[in-house]
Amino acid sequence: MVEKFFQDHERKMPRDSLITSENDSEQDAGLSLQEEHESKTHRTKRRDGDRQKKKRRNERRKGGTRAGEGEEDLQAVSEKRERSKRKRAKSKQETSRRENNEEEEAQLTGGKGTKARKDIRNEKTRRMEKEEVREVEENVDKGKKKQGSTKKGEKKEDGGKQLVKGKAREVKKKKHKKAETSSEPETSEEDDDEEEDNDKDVVRLECLSPEELEKLKEAVDERKKLIQSLRGKPWAMKKKLVTLRESQEFVEKYEGALGKGKGRKLYAYKVLMTKKWMKFQRDFENFKTACIPWEMKIKEIESHFGSSVASYFLFLRWMYGINMILFGLTFGLVMVPEALMGRPYGSMPRKTVPRAEEASAMDFAVLWDFGGYAQYSVLFYGYYNNQRTVGWLKFRMPLSYFLVGVGTVAYSYMVVIRTMARNANESGVGDDNSFNFSWKMFTSWDYLIGNAETADNKFASITTSFKEAILEEQESHKDDNIHLTRFLRVLANFLVLCCLAGSGYLIYFVVRRSQKFALDGLENHTWWERNEVNMVMSLLGMFCPMLFDVISTLENYHPRVALQWQLGRIFALFLGNLYTFIIALMDEINLKRKEEKIVKFNITTWEASLYNGTVSENSTASPVTIHPADVPRGPCWETMVGQEFVRLIISDTMTTYITLLIGDFLRAVLVRFLNYCWCWDLEAGFPSYSEFDVSGNVLGLIFNQGMIWMGSFYAPCLPALNVIRLHVSMYLQCWAVMCCNVPQERVFKASGSNNFYMAMLLVILFLSTLPAIYTIVSIPPSFDCGPFSGKNRMFDVIHETLESDFPPWFSKVFSYASNPGLVLPFILLMVLAIYYLQSTSKSYREANVELKKKLQMQNEENKRKNKRAALKAQMDLEEARMTAQEQQRNNNASVQDQENDTDIHGSGQRPYQEKYGCNPPPPVGGRGRQMPSSRDPGSRTYNRGNHGPSGYLPGFARQSEPRMYRVPSLQRH
Amino acid sequence: MLMVSPAIALAFLPLLLTLIIRYRYFFVLFYRAVLIRMWKDCVTGLSREERAFQYVLTHATPGDPDSILDTFDVWCSKVEFISNIGPKKGKILDRLLMEHSPLTVLELGAHCGYSTVRIARSLPLGARLYSIEMDQRNAAIAEKVIRLAGFDDDTVELIVNPSDEVIPQLRSDYNLERLDFVFMDHWKKCYLPDLQMLEGSGLLGKGSIILADNVLFPGAPKFLRYIRKSGLYEWRIHRATLEYSKGIRDGMAELVYQGIK
Repeated sequence: MVEKFFQDHERKMPRDSLITSENDSEQDAGLSLQEEHESKTHRTKRRDGDRQKKKRRNERRKGGTRAGEGEEDLQAVSEKRERSKRKRAKSKQETSRRENNEEEEAQLTGGKGTKARKDIRNEKTRRMEKEEVREVEENVDKGKKKQGSTKKGEKKEDGGKQLVKGKAREVKKKKHKKAETSSEPETSEEDDDEEEDNDKDVVRLECLSPEELEKLKEAVDERKKLIQSLRGKPWAMKKKLVTLRESQEFVEKYEGALGKGKGRKLYAYKVLMTKKWMKFQRDFENFKTACIPWEMKIKEIESHFGSSVASYFLFLRWMYGINMILFGLTFGLVMVPEALMGRPYGSMPRKTVPRAEEASAMDFAVLWDFGGYAQYSVLFYGYYNNQRTVGWLKFRMPLSYFLVGVGTVAYSYMVVIRTMARNANESGVGDDNSFNFSWKMFTSWDYLIGNAETADNKFASITTSFKEAILEEQESHKDDNIHLTRFLRVLANFLVLCCLAGSGYLIYFVVRRSQKFALDGLENHTWWERNEVNMVMSLLGMFCPMLFDVISTLENYHPRVALQWQLGRIFALFLGNLYTFIIALMDEINLKRKEEKIVKFNITTWEASLYNGTVSENSTASPVTIHPADVPRGPCWETMVGQEFVRLIISDTMTTYITLLIGDFLRAVLVRFLNYCWCWDLEAGFPSYSEFDVSGNVLGLIFNQGMIWMGSFYAPCLPALNVIRLHVSMYLQCWAVMCCNVPQERVFKASGSNNFYMAMLLVILFLSTLPAIYTIVSIPPSFDCGPFSGKNRMFDVIHETLESDFPPWFSKVFSYASNPGLVLPFILLMVLAIYYLQSTSKSYREANVELKKKLQMQNEENKRKNKRAALKAQMDLEEARMTAQEQQRNNNASVQDQENDTDIHGSGQRPYQEKYGCNPPPPVGGRGRQMPSSRDPGSRTYNRGNHGPSGYLPGFARQSEPRMYRVPSLQRH
Repeated sequence: MLMVSPAIALAFLPLLLTLIIRYRYFFVLFYRAVLIRMWKDCVTGLSREERAFQYVLTHATPGDPDSILDTFDVWCSKVEFISNIGPKKGKILDRLLMEHSPLTVLELGAHCGYSTVRIARSLPLGARLYSIEMDQRNAAIAEKVIRLAGFDDDTVELIVNPSDEVIPQLRSDYNLERLDFVFMDHWKKCYLPDLQMLEGSGLLGKGSIILADNVLFPGAPKFLRYIRKSGLYEWRIHRATLEYSKGIRDGMAELVYQGIK
């Protein structure tokens, strides 16, 4: 590869010189003879870069004689000029004078038309002098080639390959010399030779000397290093790509071939193995990614909808993981032991369907409401027995039940807080708004987007955000409209509050009504009326966020801020709904407990009567066997609470899925297929496709989880249900979002809102454990159902275990430990520790901010310093240039004098001559693009200022090109 | 009987409110463009375009295109609704015409002459506008409006025929060599076939501009899909709102024909 690169380079050199010579040919027509001479004598000078060469040639042009070429050169120049002049005169004798006048005018005015004419004339002269130019070119080429090898020797950076190739090329060069007739076929020939070279190199590799091999190895290593460090190189992307490809090919080619005989084989083997190993590692990484559940799905969604939608799915997956663990705990430690080792169904009253319900216990409607057989199963609290140990394992069932209930909540707290802390670490410290536009400029793109439409949307949103930011910046100076915005925001909040109050009242109303129904007996009412509470709660939870969304358009916030407001509002709504529900439940619990008291009293009388009856009937006094289904029993409020929660979850899930199917899928289908026969564009206009509602979905998920936490103590089946629900909704929502939703119009990154979700989850966790803890601590358990029946409070089970299962010293220690005198100092210590940690973290954060500031200051300082240095350098440069100009002007004057001497007859040449000095050269190539014509000296000096030391560059027309093109584009905007 | 409790019905109130607020512009448009039109049709016995023309005739200055356009705008925003190009999108049209000063302009769908007058007034001297209108009655009114604005047969030529019949004949019947500017504002379904027909007829040259109105609402999705796919055009969409309405988004597609590369 190196030699290819090399030859490219090599080939480029003559080509460059070709171009320059062509370039020059347009200008120094008269100097071609002199050039020929020079190219022989001044061969060494050519080794310098093009630029210098050009400069030198320019200088030469300026003062042909001054450059020390001698009188004959000048003679030749004048002769040359004479000749071309005569030729031109033949064709254009009449017009020449007029043109001259015009051109002189043009040099003053800088008009375009004359410039064009000049171009035409240049074209003519060029054609005439083509032959001479070709001669020059050939000479130049020859010179290049001769020096080629030496030049190459200097270029160390391209690796040691050229050493290998050195001799061969020498030989080839000679061959070329003989074969070459003109410059054009020569290059193509060289192409062929290159390939030949490649083949030969591979063959010759075996007979290389050790040091050459060493060099080759070095080159390979260098390439490897280059590949590694390529990313940090300040090159253009194209160059990077080319270099990367070349280096990779080079390494590929020579890596395996290094070494000799046995060593070589070993080396090749090693290389092979490393490659295999790397491939394996890559595959393993892929495999690991594939093992993360739904990773690819989420990535796909992310690429289509941006990271905000994906963040919902990540959250869903995270939630799924937590629920899996909750499910594992409840299922493994509570439900399975009871089902396997506990007393079987029908063995006691709490495990049997009562006689009155037996007939309908298997009906679908009853089962769907989690009554009948579902109620009297491991799914609910009431089924569990209060025997201390079950089975041959002596599994402590009640203790396990209690600890699992506490453990799930504790685990959830731990996980949420840990995640929050991690996110907080990631988010970094303090976001400053000091570089608003820079942030927007460099950080607003979402690099995970992989879909054209989303990218369009993102692009549009970035541009609009720029526009808005600019407008904001402008308006911050004016700020006359701020009152309107404030008013609108207040109005929006007022409307939202009204809405919240309305929904709260509606739920309250419904709950009261349902209590009335419950008193009447549920059987007298329709299904709608029985499920009114759940229905209304779900519907309000679904529709109110939409209304909030519409209202929030009044406020005109940034979407991220708007999302947080929206989340807050929905949060308030859901919380209100949930707590109304809980309050209603509390009422119901109290009702049940009153009922329980009556039942308890009744049962004692019933038992007494039973006993009395049996005594009176027969005196055998055999134990009476009553079927457990016939035994009267209490209402068991715990099961009722569990049932309510399960029903709520089910109805919530159903509403979510039905909304998904109707609101998204059906709508998408209608829009898609009705669009063929509708009078307007349904897709872009009126109904359109729905957008994915991130905030609503996230909050739905969070509240769902809250209900799980609240209810799982009384219904151990809730985590299982939730796992199923999350699993289904993962697939369903992934499908729905890909098939029926369109990317949001204002795509934004969601990185900041992750912790917001987490904070919400924490709040909900707290709020949902509150009622559960309250019921556990303050309400005595039912007397005839559940694992804690017969105890005064549910947590008595711990005391019981401590007393009976642990050695007495342990319970003694525990009782000491639980002494308030010990607990209070401990809590105090903990509070102090928390305070200490918090304050240290605060100080760290402050230190960080301080450091950041310092860094910024230093940066600014550096910048200023650099600027100063640059300014100074510029001044120096300017000065130097001034002096140089001074000199040149003097020289010019002398040259001008001499030229005037030579051009005394035939003023036609004069403007042409002057063009060397004053005009940008006509463009290269036959396209004949119109350049801005001769500039006045003022603009020229300005231009030279841009160039720096290079001074009279013939290529400085190229500099002016972009400027010329930018003008129309500016006008367009 | 299915007894739905009033509480459940009340829970649907937020949804209803949301829909009404979110799509209020469409309801207003429906009211103005359909209900009022039907009512007035019954009451006056005239077609909508005729009513518009009567209004223009009584309120505008003859021979002054600006005044006629203004009167149209007033009628369309205050009295009834006609889907002209409207003042806001009209500015874009004017700007394009000013920038490119086309010599041969084709307009598809003159309707009642609003856009014809609009184009004709910003044309350079010696330019010619061919306006195609399918409907006989509309064309009669358009003719009157155009003459009222003071444009003669040399400037504006009204062709009463469906566009898909006229376009293939343009070269032979009207001796057209090249169209510099095409303005589409007829049936949205015809945008695509007409564009393809124009391509096929060879009347489009490099740099010919095609401006299509209402590509987002009522919308021409197939047309947009086509221009996205075919590499023949440089295109952009000028986003704006629907004429005489604030909240409905609409756009005009500006296509510059590049020819086959």
